[in-house]
Amino acid sequence: MKPRERVETALNHEIPDRCPMQISFTPEFADRLYHDMQMKGRGIHNPHGGGNTYELERVLGEDMLLTSVGWANSYYLDDKPYIDEWDIGWDIQPYQTPFGSGHYTEIVGHPLADDDAISDYQPPDPTRPELYDASRQMIRDFKDEYWIVGVTVTTIFETAWALRGYEQIMLDMSLNPDLANAIMEIPYRYHLTAAKKLVELGVDMIWIGDDMGTQDRMLISPIMWRQFLKPRMANFIAEIKSLNPTLKVAYHTDGKVDPIIPDLIEIGLDVLNPIQPASMDPAQIKKEYGDHLCFWGTIDEQRTLPFGKPSDVEAEIRHRLRTVGKDGGLILSPTHHVQLDTPLENFWMMVNTISNTPYSSI
Amino acid sequence: MDDGKHDLQYALFIHLNLGVAMEQYLEQISQAVVKGDQNATIELVQAAVDAQVDANTIMQKGLIPAMSDVGRLYEQGEYFVPEMLISARAMKAGLEIIKPLLAGSDLKPAGTVAVGTVKGDLHDIGKNLVGIMLEGAGFSVHDLGTDVSPEQFIEAIRTNQVDLIGMSALLTTTMPMMETTTNAITRAGLRNQVKIIIGGAPITQAYADKIGADGFAPDASQAVKLAINLVNQR
Repeated sequence: MKPRERVETALNHEIPDRCPMQISFTPEFADRLYHDMQMKGRGIHNPHGGGNTYELERVLGEDMLLTSVGWANSYYLDDKPYIDEWDIGWDIQPYQTPFGSGHYTEIVGHPLADDDAISDYQPPDPTRPELYDASRQMIRDFKDEYWIVGVTVTTIFETAWALRGYEQIMLDMSLNPDLANAIMEIPYRYHLTAAKKLVELGVDMIWIGDDMGTQDRMLISPIMWRQFLKPRMANFIAEIKSLNPTLKVAYHTDGKVDPIIPDLIEIGLDVLNPIQPASMDPAQIKKEYGDHLCFWGTIDEQRTLPFGKPSDVEAEIRHRLRTVGKDGGLILSPTHHVQLDTPLENFWMMVNTISNTPYSSI
Repeated sequence: MDDGKHDLQYALFIHLNLGVAMEQYLEQISQAVVKGDQNATIELVQAAVDAQVDANTIMQKGLIPAMSDVGRLYEQGEYFVPEMLISARAMKAGLEIIKPLLAGSDLKPAGTVAVGTVKGDLHDIGKNLVGIMLEGAGFSVHDLGTDVSPEQFIEAIRTNQVDLIGMSALLTTTMPMMETTTNAITRAGLRNQVKIIIGGAPITQAYADKIGADGFAPDASQAVKLAINLVNQR
């Protein structure tokens, strides 16, 4: 089966030859992989897919390729502090692992921190043609073979909090909803324009995202989510699907969000990502919502991949295939970019187990 | 005689009404904090202070029970982070008014705590919530901020007579700094002086046990209970 057929089959709730696979990495883990495979990497690897060569993804046998337009591309822009085109300030935060050192880019400057800053704020222009050059090229190069995902994650809430400040945007949602709404409109409109353009260019799926879960509960109440996020997401999904009725839509949120899964199904979501196993039991979520929703993720990036043994990784994947993968509807993926603290033995066990386990053997 | 009797009756009258007024103030302060109404909290605390209600009483019977209610509502799933933040903001505003008065009283804090995210980690909302809930439970809180090195934690223990250290991490790649910091505190000869509690998305009780921390809490409300228990053990 071609990778794109494999994904299409799974997303139609049917059983492909093997479970589709998608894996993203931090730039440092990508470097380690290049080294391990004796490949020559080119440029900084963007885990969201902006400007990537897709060499690693294709060599590994992944089935979906990602191309990103939007604020999420501001991550990993530089190795020294920078201000992105949204005027959001970033700092460099180094860390050490047993396998070397790396750095994260972290948001530290919020251009809308002052209440009245919004009045003369100019967001970037999502209609600049050059924003879509890389996407146009990769669709031309790879769509015949791969399932292409247009990435516009950090769609509403996450960009809004970067603009305003994390605690402040949540205070606003309680105390100054008009301002919270006005701020959320900015990334919402930007990413909707970007997503529509990506659909016109021919992506198979749009991936939206905003982290709404903490480890053990929602960050904001379901009531507040229904007030601020649900209507925008509903309209976003409706507008992009009106351009292509066969388009699939995936949504990313970390953490525990089961109270809003029925709402997500109601507004037309096709695929939920990443189902963090420490927060929600993927088998249970499949049982409850698997008739209406597909799942992308489920491999524990908080415990199993960094701290487990290769046998734990293998056991977890087999368990997922038997439970969440039953009758298709699953794309296996780590629940976050693979981090530098992951032993290569675990990584290869993940890749090999997914690649070498036909559905017929489960 | 008559005058004396009247004085006594008057004093009793004042006393009873002041008592009623005090109870009302405290109850209203509590309600304002739980609702997250900062302006009402400020007005009510100021009115209570003006009516000679003791600052210590405002703290112990107004603000602390309110934040305890907020923690309970969070644990029960009725409150989420935004509701907790606005209650914390109201509580802090009330506390600012009485702080100068508390400084002159013989009130002892429930304990002295230093909190921070470990070196390499800038994700601070969990740490902030723990800090504010501890403050709302009567602890003296030194917020060391984010990206706090082992040396900074040690310095805080040495200079502030800290009973308890609270470390936070969101990431699996920064979480090992909790062990590094705990070991550094031990090497500095300070481990017996402080209790260490940890929290953050990837943290579990098993990890706390592994690195020799005294406890783990999954959220800010439970962190307060843990801190009270540990400080009381000392």
